Amino acid sequence: MASHAKAAHQLARQLFQLSVVDGAVATERVGGVLEYVERHAVANPVMVLKAYQRLVATEIAKGVARVEHAGAVSDSLLAAIASAMTKTYRRPVTATAEARPELLAGLRVHVGDDIYESSVAGQLAALAAAG
Amino acid sequence: MSTALEQIEQQIAKLSSKAVKKNTGSIRAIADGVAKIDGLSDVMYNEMVQFPGGAIGIALNLEEDEVGCVVLGDVAQLKEGDEVTTTGKLLSVPVGRELLGRAVDALGRPVDGKGPIEAKESYPVERIAPGIIERKSVSQPLFTGIMAIDSMIPIGRGQRELIIGDRGTGKTTIAIDTIINQANINKVGLASGDPKFRPVYSIYVGIGQKNSNIVRTMSALEAAGALQFTIVVAAAAADNPANQYLAPYSGAAMGEWFMENGMDALIVYDDLSKHAVAYRQISLILKRPSGREAYPGDVFYLHSRLLERAARLDGKGSLTALPIIETLAGDVSAYIPTNVISITDGQIFLETDLFNQGIRPAVSVGLSVSRVGSAAQIKATKQVGGKLKGELAQFRELAAFAQFGSDLDPKTKAQLERGGRIVELFKQPAFSPSAIELQVAVLFAMQKGFFDAIELKKVVEAAVSLRSFFTTRKDALLTEVRTKAALDKDLEAKLQAACEEWKASYAA
Repeated sequence: MASHAKAAHQLARQLFQLSVVDGAVATERVGGVLEYVERHAVANPVMVLKAYQRLVATEIAKGVARVEHAGAVSDSLLAAIASAMTKTYRRPVTATAEARPELLAGLRVHVGDDIYESSVAGQLAALAAAG
Repeated sequence: MSTALEQIEQQIAKLSSKAVKKNTGSIRAIADGVAKIDGLSDVMYNEMVQFPGGAIGIALNLEEDEVGCVVLGDVAQLKEGDEVTTTGKLLSVPVGRELLGRAVDALGRPVDGKGPIEAKESYPVERIAPGIIERKSVSQPLFTGIMAIDSMIPIGRGQRELIIGDRGTGKTTIAIDTIINQANINKVGLASGDPKFRPVYSIYVGIGQKNSNIVRTMSALEAAGALQFTIVVAAAAADNPANQYLAPYSGAAMGEWFMENGMDALIVYDDLSKHAVAYRQISLILKRPSGREAYPGDVFYLHSRLLERAARLDGKGSLTALPIIETLAGDVSAYIPTNVISITDGQIFLETDLFNQGIRPAVSVGLSVSRVGSAAQIKATKQVGGKLKGELAQFRELAAFAQFGSDLDPKTKAQLERGGRIVELFKQPAFSPSAIELQVAVLFAMQKGFFDAIELKKVVEAAVSLRSFFTTRKDALLTEVRTKAALDKDLEAKLQAACEEWKASYAA
């Protein structure tokens, strides 16, 4: 079982490497990979595709700044965040807005594994943890 | 003016609303106290990570697309998908005098119900051991209060001396006796007001012990008035393996604080066999490759990096380590015992047979050794007990031969008689360590033949009488032995006279 999972993981990683062009996931390459998996008798296809999906999702998340906000967010602010993140991560980063009233005020920006916390709810949580 | 204030206000607003960056991941799987985490791309090896609900973890396995963390705390609250964040910190524990007299867990949190500990400092749990240049060789004694050990297997400050033996042979008792003896010496030394006196603080680390045993140990320390100089670090059998794995390192960090601040400390690891078992469990769950007896490849490093932290530092203090190892059926050649024997500066081997014969402490003189302690032994003990180890070894050999023949020459008979008396003299009840000056007095009496005329069965009783005679009636002489730490002609004459006085009163 463990060796099956390992083999599936390895194949998923190889397929993922094939899907990346110039540091970004290319949609047409992903289509090609899916076609390959469908046509060829790949062992444990569900396991391979799940691992592949996880790798692709992680990679895509690195190129998107998910801006959670309470209150209004202007397009210019989103553009400023996108350009700042593009500079920080040295790769093209786009910004998407997501309304989260429970933040009370301020912003929370997710880029890949990183979170930039600048919300009132976050500060209150930090204060509560410190106390 | 108002523009200047506005500018300052703007700057403050900018600073106070500055975004805090966190690196996060999510739990992919959690089992047996180990969490597999997706994300955490910035995590560092051994870094502390924060789980929801206040539980913390340590990143031990950094793999290509997941991180393996041991969870310290309640894993029952955690579930798949929970967010985990890095902290940018190494795991640290509170250190300092504030911990003396307290029982804490592997993270330095109090477990004795005596309220919070207001420690001012904290030290990282994992630290690199002092290097060659910082160290000084072992030359100051650390008295255990056990006559058999102090006279034949002396321990010095900064030494690592292993206590090894089967279950129920009195390993913990030796360690507790040593802690009690340090407390006794501390009380006398601090009361004397001698500015050169260096107290020894003790740390007892219980790993994988029954909670009842830890309570018993604490009660023994409290009853002897030693708890005020002791920190108890408890990672009981019911604690998760991660806490058991960390506890000795936490204890070492607490001991290092004393050492770094010019004080002397003693640390007891009770016991490292269970520590190795806890680490094996963690390693197997983390899917690290296993080797001999299913222990991971770095089990030697696990103990070597811990015991190397015991040292005597030049211009600072010292940390003496007494690790304990439990053997199975006296097998010292098993994996973990041989590892720890090779790391330490000697071992005190306890034998089940001796213990069952009533020879307690059941120290096997032949197999026990102290590689560096003789440099730390005081001259007085050397003068009265220098040849004891050889005499006892000869006695054991002769006693084995004597079983086969009845006709023995007078010399052999005398050696057997003498050996039997030494064995009797070394018998000592638990939790009653003897001061070094008393040990010198008893050994002096033995060397001068004051016990020769006493029946073998009554030697223990006579030794008790001699001790009480010296403590009640020759206190000044004992103080002189303690302060001079060597026997000159004058002191020898005084001891001889005192022994004769005792003999006259004992015979009567």
